Amino acid sequence: MWNKTTQGKPSSAVPQPAAAATVTPVTAPAAPVPPAVSAPTAPATERSVAPVATGTSRINAGLKIQGEISGSSDLYIDGEMQGKIRLANAQVEIGPNGRIQADIEARGIVIEGSVQGNLKAGESVHLGPASRVQGSVLTPRIGIDDGARLRGKVEMTRADSPPSASLPQSHSPAGSSASTAAPEILRPVAASAKDE
Amino acid sequence: MNWTAKIRASAPATFSVSPSSKAAKPGPVAAVAPAANHRVSNSLKEFLWLISDVPHARVLDLGPVWQSTVSFFVDKGYRISTEDLLRTWKEYLNAEEERMRTAPIGEDGEKLSPSMLADKFLEAALQYPEHSLHGILLWDLLDYFDPGVTPRLMERVCHMLHPGGVALALFHSRPAERFQRYRIIDSQTVELVAAPTLAVHAHVFQNREILELFGKFRSSKTFVGRDQVREALFVR
Repeated sequence: MWNKTTQGKPSSAVPQPAAAATVTPVTAPAAPVPPAVSAPTAPATERSVAPVATGTSRINAGLKIQGEISGSSDLYIDGEMQGKIRLANAQVEIGPNGRIQADIEARGIVIEGSVQGNLKAGESVHLGPASRVQGSVLTPRIGIDDGARLRGKVEMTRADSPPSASLPQSHSPAGSSASTAAPEILRPVAASAKDE
Repeated sequence: MNWTAKIRASAPATFSVSPSSKAAKPGPVAAVAPAANHRVSNSLKEFLWLISDVPHARVLDLGPVWQSTVSFFVDKGYRISTEDLLRTWKEYLNAEEERMRTAPIGEDGEKLSPSMLADKFLEAALQYPEHSLHGILLWDLLDYFDPGVTPRLMERVCHMLHPGGVALALFHSRPAERFQRYRIIDSQTVELVAAPTLAVHAHVFQNREILELFGKFRSSKTFVGRDQVREALFVR
């Protein structure tokens, strides 16, 4: 009983064709080196998402964007964004100044800032020490640094699940049935916070 | 759930400061600092045992999110949700205070009673459907809530728990000397993580008060540690 195996891990990923990388890049490819991201302290799930590389599309601090972002380029956001991010075969990193109100779907997701929305990753999700996430996380692997704040559900998928499965609609928490495991998002509560 | 249906020989809870007695385990456990406090928790063991019959049980941790806790439940095939309730409450109070401070005189600037505060808070927090959870980890957070708030909170906890579901709560027998959070190391060990004080210890519950608080629950079981912390399990 105590050594229950992990058989039958829930997985809500529905195989679908890969998302077409049609939409234009958000900003012109830029060369600047991204800000350093602290290494995870928890070795259980090493951060497998590589740092944002040259050629990554960037939305820097001070910029706001609304709408849907899709395509195949890696994306770094340190500004504000509202809408939806679908980069099924790319990596998305939210910088420390990033304020996102969007569902994010990507191969790898790194959060150092604040996200209100569901995260769905084909490979891994990493929550940095100052990250704040309000929404569910659906991923085969997750890394959580001490100090990270997550309000929502963590659900693990199989690593071979296609990353392009569509994100579920955000709705009030924990409404899923036992087997389909739809990630959920919680309603916002409060504003200011004192970090521990 | 019937306690007698699942009989387990249980030793009294013990408290260990030195981690040296524990063999280092690979993975998350290895990340524990050598000086960390570990607590052998029989209530956690019992909690896990009680939900073990439920395939893919849904568990809500009302403390902060920890890698080790998430990994622990995910590895067992459970679904884990987290909501740092005490922090959310403090943020809510701060926001409420700010609202009162900035509200023009005579316009919605009335001070709310604890129960009204709780009701307003619960309009946004702990929004889980009825009977949707099989286990809730409350840790010691009830000690830090205003006594006027805890009954409302427990109503919601009861509402969210599936019949037969179990809630785990810790109660200090005297005001806690320091504020700490809890993370699961293994099926019977939690780590006490010292943290900057988020809230002051508000109330020392008497056993009678605890039973009243969990009055809607079907049964309860309490383990008392050498440090006089009471670990309680309540089955809905």
